[in-house]
Amino acid sequence: MAANMKAVKLRIKSVQSTMQITKAMQLVAASKLRRAKEKAEKSKPYLNTLLETLVDIANGNHDFRSPYTKASENSKWLYVVIAGDRGLAGGYNSNLFKFMESEIKGRDIEVLPIGKKSVEYFKHRNVPILTEEYAEVAKITISDCFSISKLLCDSYKDGRFGHVFLCYTDFISMMSQVPTSSSILPISDLAEKDAKSDNKAKPLILYEPDSETVFNAVVPEYLAGVLHSSISISVASELAARRTAMEAATDNAEEMIENLSLFYNRARQASITQEITEIVAGAEE
Amino acid sequence: MATYRLQIVSLDGVEYEGDVERIMLRSIDGNVAVLARHMNYCTGIGMGTAHVTLADGTVKRAACIGGMLSVMDGVVRVFPTTWEWDDDIDLERARAAKERAEQRLKDEALSNEARLRAEAKLLRALVRIGSARKKNY
Repeated sequence: MAANMKAVKLRIKSVQSTMQITKAMQLVAASKLRRAKEKAEKSKPYLNTLLETLVDIANGNHDFRSPYTKASENSKWLYVVIAGDRGLAGGYNSNLFKFMESEIKGRDIEVLPIGKKSVEYFKHRNVPILTEEYAEVAKITISDCFSISKLLCDSYKDGRFGHVFLCYTDFISMMSQVPTSSSILPISDLAEKDAKSDNKAKPLILYEPDSETVFNAVVPEYLAGVLHSSISISVASELAARRTAMEAATDNAEEMIENLSLFYNRARQASITQEITEIVAGAEE
Repeated sequence: MATYRLQIVSLDGVEYEGDVERIMLRSIDGNVAVLARHMNYCTGIGMGTAHVTLADGTVKRAACIGGMLSVMDGVVRVFPTTWEWDDDIDLERARAAKERAEQRLKDEALSNEARLRAEAKLLRALVRIGSARKKNY
């Protein structure tokens, strides 16, 4: 019994120290989350209205002189996958990768991973990687977004791939984050499928000076903006996921400690009772 | 005058949303002004000062750099890369940035890329200085 009690005591200690770590991680994530959430909420309207407008433009566009607007013959897909730098964030990374696997079925793909976990994942699976330069999602600045966008535009124009797709985790609320994807290049991919099939008159759009110049000027900035806002949203999602996961871990640890202490106290009492019984029995003889 | 719905959304969030009479800004093709009932329209934004005339006639100014302007079915949306209202511009910082860029451009041995970057910085600083609220005058 004594040996058992010692083991229980050790176990309580180890659970306690784990709890300290998960608690600390929870607090860190919670405090970082506040700022990240603000940033994400600021950039969300930009991303949403911009994509909405481009869908309108794609639906109404019938001028395909710019390489960015015409439907591509090239069947190679580039996926920009924004994941986290670290694990221990519940299902944040694995949900995104699972979602992405279901998206890419049967496609010839290349990826541009953003975030260390994303780089590791695709390296492990031997998926061709465009560049590993942007491995740390936490360190990406607005000017990095512009260089990523330039890289995307240049390699798109060179014909290295025909479609660009973006995968990130949308921040719905503190409790729910959902992996999402969106087509970002060419603009014609954004058009709604049903709009293509019916032949109703499309609204005319005036481009000034002309559509080619407009798209060539606007697309790099649009990509940089989309990347920047989806990165901010992903970062907020990661922190929220980590906070929730660590909160659950802390709660579990507390419960375990409670059960173990109960067990320990029972064992202690049993051993005392036994000792008394033994002494009493000895005195009676 | 007739007004229309204007949304200005930059990376820093929604800068303006509401009914206005007119917006004038520098596009990649020169200055444009959009009035109510404009046809569907799309252009890229250059670098310059934007003037927004509100429904009550007051004019607000802002530094507006890069991005896109679109008119779709009567709704005007502006997606600038940088949008700073004249009150929010840090004039001291813009002046310092201008000095720095000018110093850098004096260096003959500057690489092409660095020169382009310094020129872009100088241009941005000049737009900010030009758009900042004129005090003391």
